[in-house]
Amino acid sequence: MKKVLKRVGIGTAILSMAFLSACGSAPTGSSSGGSGGTAGGDILVGLQFPLSGNEAKMGEDMKNAAQLAADEINSAGGINGKKIKLIAEDDASDPQTATAAANKLVSEGVTAVVGGYSSGATIPATGVYHQNGIPMVVTAANSQKISDQKFPEIFMINGTTVHQAEVATDYMLNKNHGKKIAIIHDNSGYAKDLAERTKAAVEAAGGQVVVFDAVNPDESDFSALISKLKQAKPDATYWTAYYKAGGAFIKQFKQQGVSGIIGVGDGSNDKTLIDIAGKSAAEGTFVTTSPTAEFLPEAKKFVEEYKAKYKQDPGPYSALEYDGIKVLADSIKRAGSTDKAAIVKALQSTDLKTLSSQVSFNSEGTLKKSNFIVLQVKNGTFALPQ
Amino acid sequence: MGLHLAITSDIFVQQLINALIIGSFYALIALGYTMVYGIIKLLNFAHGDLFMVGAYIGFTVLGKVTGTGGSLVGVIIAFIIAMIVTGFLGMGMERVAYRPLLKAPRLSILITAVGMSLVLENGVFAGFGAKPQIMPVTLPTNGFTLLGANITYSQIGIIVLSALLMWGLHAFIHRSIYGKAMRAIAIDQTACSLMGINVNKVISLTFFVGSFLAAAAGMMNATYYGNITFMMGFTFGLKAFTAAVIGGIGNIPGAMLGGLTLGILETIGTYTIGSEWKDVFAFIILIFLLVVKPTGILGEKVTERM
Repeated sequence: MKKVLKRVGIGTAILSMAFLSACGSAPTGSSSGGSGGTAGGDILVGLQFPLSGNEAKMGEDMKNAAQLAADEINSAGGINGKKIKLIAEDDASDPQTATAAANKLVSEGVTAVVGGYSSGATIPATGVYHQNGIPMVVTAANSQKISDQKFPEIFMINGTTVHQAEVATDYMLNKNHGKKIAIIHDNSGYAKDLAERTKAAVEAAGGQVVVFDAVNPDESDFSALISKLKQAKPDATYWTAYYKAGGAFIKQFKQQGVSGIIGVGDGSNDKTLIDIAGKSAAEGTFVTTSPTAEFLPEAKKFVEEYKAKYKQDPGPYSALEYDGIKVLADSIKRAGSTDKAAIVKALQSTDLKTLSSQVSFNSEGTLKKSNFIVLQVKNGTFALPQ
Repeated sequence: MGLHLAITSDIFVQQLINALIIGSFYALIALGYTMVYGIIKLLNFAHGDLFMVGAYIGFTVLGKVTGTGGSLVGVIIAFIIAMIVTGFLGMGMERVAYRPLLKAPRLSILITAVGMSLVLENGVFAGFGAKPQIMPVTLPTNGFTLLGANITYSQIGIIVLSALLMWGLHAFIHRSIYGKAMRAIAIDQTACSLMGINVNKVISLTFFVGSFLAAAAGMMNATYYGNITFMMGFTFGLKAFTAAVIGGIGNIPGAMLGGLTLGILETIGTYTIGSEWKDVFAFIILIFLLVVKPTGILGEKVTERM
């Protein structure tokens, strides 16, 4: 009896949800006139990133960059005669808000979505877009888990941990002519993943991983591990965890005089790393990081325009967001229509030179070629190595 | 990791120094735990946070004085101010949060201690934020090479200063009249008050001394590692508590020995089975030790007084 009641309850809930969602989508469906996202002859493109909360600055930067790209496209005549119209929704870097934001964009009838800052918020949102067949170009979020969902509509133009491991390995083995590599992480999901993928990449490239270990990031003393490193005489040491412990690690690394170079992953790409390590200890540390506008030679014009228009620096992910809009526009143009399936198909065959790299996707919807860059600490700031 | 790590003299000396440094920090904090436990049978879980508060006071003072005085003088001034202010903070904490509960069940006062710990952590968080603060002056990193190991003068300084503080405490407990009173109260509080000893005053003093030492450790830690956060006392407090238990809680030489033992155990753990397992290694030894000798290395079986 109880079971039956429970079933009835669930059934009612599902029915009412279906009813509600039908109500929600009905009016927009009629106003946009069938073919999604061409209201008033414009192509509606959804943007999703945090516009409130701690990460609001990132979203604001990305929104500005997207607008810059859209304005450029529109002033050059639009795509196939149609203009791009952007609709930004706030996901607050929060999974629940992101799902609501994604549903809102769907109900507004967007043709495609460009954005996604934090992976935690982007993952559930991609599910919503996938269900509605809406193509999305993910610009900042870079968790491997996004592509592991195998949603054919989702394309990532920021490199994942695989791409970062590739660039780190190339730098340590080829550019630095190293062979013996030490890798240290902190057992957090991201750092461990990057460490393991780097280990695999180093070994595949003929290098030798001499120390592979993890620290407790709450601790401040890593001296015992560093003495062990010193004895292993690595040619390069790669720290995949975050900047706070990373700064302390670099300081103690230099203090004990371990051989070889030291580098950090993008989790440590923060000025505080240099402050904690101290300017002299941090000098020469390499950093693998997502392509940031200020370090991209191709992005000089973009940075100037951005600064002129918004009176501020572009921020770390704006170049990728700009690229995202350009990649989407290129696909819509090649698809010849705003039919979503056709755009997805066109995205798959993308081969476009952007600010950050030559973008083309593999079958998983991630970049064929890594777009991570390597920076180096010089006089207390991050700079391009010479 | 596919590499044979032989223990040579350089690595032995280097690791010994590493162990002594971290062990000194543990020992100085453990002393406060063990003194308070010895005198009022309270596990003062806020003690690790006094270590943190000491570092923050030193940080604030250093920020004010480094502009004018030489950096070494500045550091010494900051050290002294941090230790004294934290000492008074410890006394205040005892007066406000613990003294009214001395006659209450032990569990109530233990909960209050956890509460005090949260108050200190979140108070500093509210004042300074979660971002790590960078010390304006850090200890010099120049030094010498001994048997192939890089040793800095700062490391020697930390070990020597810690030893001096511990020796001073030992002398204070055994030579001074207040130390005698502390030892007497640890044995029998009621009898002491009947003998005319001002028990509250001595308990207050115990908190002062414990907090004073924690602040010294906090300042040394901050200037040595170069950065501080509001949660830095948590891990150190827990480890120091472990050190106090290893040495035999309530026993002062035991706390010193326990701190150094834990430092050495962690270092051996890191070196032999890996950094991520060092805590597991240290705690396995702790459990083993407590099974064999429940009172810790130097702890003695004391008859219950209540």
